Amino acid sequence: MGHKTILRAFAVLAVICLGFTTAVRADETCNSPYISKLIKGQEDYVYVWTLGVDGLGDGFDKLVTVDVNPKSKRYGKVVHSVSTGTQAEAHHMGFTDDRRHIWAGGLSDNRIWVFDIATNPAKPKLVRTIDDLGDKSGYLGPHTYYALPGRMLVQALSNTTDEGGETGMVLYNNNGKYLASYAMPKEEGGDGYGYDLAVNPKKNVLLTSSFTGSVNYMRPIGDLIKDGEAMKKFGNTMVLWDLKAMKVNQVLAVPGAPLEIRWSLNPQDNWAITATALTSKLWLVKQDAKGEWAAKEVGTIGDPSKIPLPVDISITRDGKGLWVNTFMDGKTRYFDLTDPEAPKQTYEKATGKQVNMISQSWDGKRVYITSSLLANWDKGGDDNEQFLRGFAWNGKELVQKFEVDFTKEQLGRAHHMKLGSKALRSTARGG
Amino acid sequence: MSVPLGIRQATRSIALLAALICAPASSHKGEPFVEPDFVPPAPGTYTLHRIMPAPEGRVLGVDGRPQLLSRYTRDKITLLGFIYTTCTDPEGCPLAYRVFGALKDAIESTSSLRDNLQFVTLSFDPARDSPDMMRRYAGSHVVEKAGGLRWYFLTTRSVRELLPLVEGFGQDVRISYDRSGARPRRELSHVLKVFLIDRMGDVREIYTSTFLYPRLVLNDIETLLMEENISQDQTPQK
Repeated sequence: MGHKTILRAFAVLAVICLGFTTAVRADETCNSPYISKLIKGQEDYVYVWTLGVDGLGDGFDKLVTVDVNPKSKRYGKVVHSVSTGTQAEAHHMGFTDDRRHIWAGGLSDNRIWVFDIATNPAKPKLVRTIDDLGDKSGYLGPHTYYALPGRMLVQALSNTTDEGGETGMVLYNNNGKYLASYAMPKEEGGDGYGYDLAVNPKKNVLLTSSFTGSVNYMRPIGDLIKDGEAMKKFGNTMVLWDLKAMKVNQVLAVPGAPLEIRWSLNPQDNWAITATALTSKLWLVKQDAKGEWAAKEVGTIGDPSKIPLPVDISITRDGKGLWVNTFMDGKTRYFDLTDPEAPKQTYEKATGKQVNMISQSWDGKRVYITSSLLANWDKGGDDNEQFLRGFAWNGKELVQKFEVDFTKEQLGRAHHMKLGSKALRSTARGG
Repeated sequence: MSVPLGIRQATRSIALLAALICAPASSHKGEPFVEPDFVPPAPGTYTLHRIMPAPEGRVLGVDGRPQLLSRYTRDKITLLGFIYTTCTDPEGCPLAYRVFGALKDAIESTSSLRDNLQFVTLSFDPARDSPDMMRRYAGSHVVEKAGGLRWYFLTTRSVRELLPLVEGFGQDVRISYDRSGARPRRELSHVLKVFLIDRMGDVREIYTSTFLYPRLVLNDIETLLMEENISQDQTPQK
């Protein structure tokens, strides 16, 4: 029995195995497909991960809960905030797979703060601080928190050695125990940089993108853009990994710092889309009929010569539409993705003097926008608006429904958002 | 005399494949399985991390006798899944039952696998799933005598005894009530998770519906067996 036997065995197996498929379970459009408890109806809360500002309230990074249920007496109001007791350039966060906890981190630090959102969804409680990421992995600036079953895969942006862009991913279990780390590739065209990650379980594919290191993102943007050498140190790649083996399969050239990654949630689709921050382009990562993956530039966002700086994207649940926020011009754009190879912008609106993150409800009828990009990259003076704004979307027009002024409320710089629901309050489990 | 590691691994690979292929498709209740839509990595080429220790707690077998769960999750490689017998979600308990059934057919035909593996199906509905109910649910899969794959159908005495287990495994369960009928009907909702546990009692993989393919589970089992062989070969001979 040898090679031929194994091949024959696979062939026989292929014949007897027919007609059974498993669907990708998705969450509110941007979350890991492994997260349970999809909020399909009206969300009650938006959690806003907020950068502390000296002289504003306690000055610390904090998780802020805003009531966003129009039927609530406190609609559009802050109902709770919980501080970390430090400033660490609060940036992104993510749910554990059971949606009982939020992991949140800062880009100037190695710590990860874990909040219990199940005991009382209105009032998250800080229950754990994970502080061994730097010691265990050598990485710095945890950015993306992506739930895998029983685990959390964390994408870092930098490293503790030179605080440049070479970095990697770190795997923890849900209790915060370190399991493994994985360096971003520097061979076969890889640049070693990281930013976001997203999984297509149906294809066993993990896709990563690339940004820059702490020495760049912690630097005032006015200085940075004048430094030609520093501006060369941004990521120009995306990487396709074998998720099961956590090994690199392919490095894709995607110049201009590809940031957020969104897989189409349509079960029939096998593509992901991203936006490049520096070149203001939409790129599609798609598998062809032969099973080969390729990255292709498919669209332009605004006028790239003016560097609108696309900073976040949000895909509709059917994969037919994409919201894009551009920081510099404060615009929110909608692209028709009916043909993902040729996205068409069909709408735009100035939603702030500076805008960053954008999230939508599962039904697409509500859109939430925040203002802060990075402490040293946000605008100054009157342009430094800090807010959470809630909009209604009827398919033709974004209509603002509420605003929380994060400066007036003494909170800080409003950054990443996640949705919450009273119905997800933890009760005694089991029968 | 010991058989070289490479030969043992190759022999086991072929045996595993043959076992899965020889398992009659008709024995899987419901539709046959498709292959995953990707080429999985070969056994032994990847790492299954020790994700967490399997939790401990008191359970009841189909004979109604109380035991510690560890009695059923140690010394052999264990595949464990939570179910409740009235579950109808096609991507929930029925899927797990079918996958376990397909694997059982494949594993029982290979003695080296059968002797190294055991299955556990644990109810998270102690109010309805008594030991008798679990026996009826198990049907012919309950193995009373030697020679077959050990498949244990377990429940718990109460929610109090169940809680440490579902909490420890991270198996989320929610209770809801369907009030559309004349009487409210209690329903349990959960996300399917199946746990692969090594002989030491550590969870090494967690499968959800998107990754619960018999072939992948067998690959992981083989990976654990290869890991054990490497460990044995590295143990100094006396």
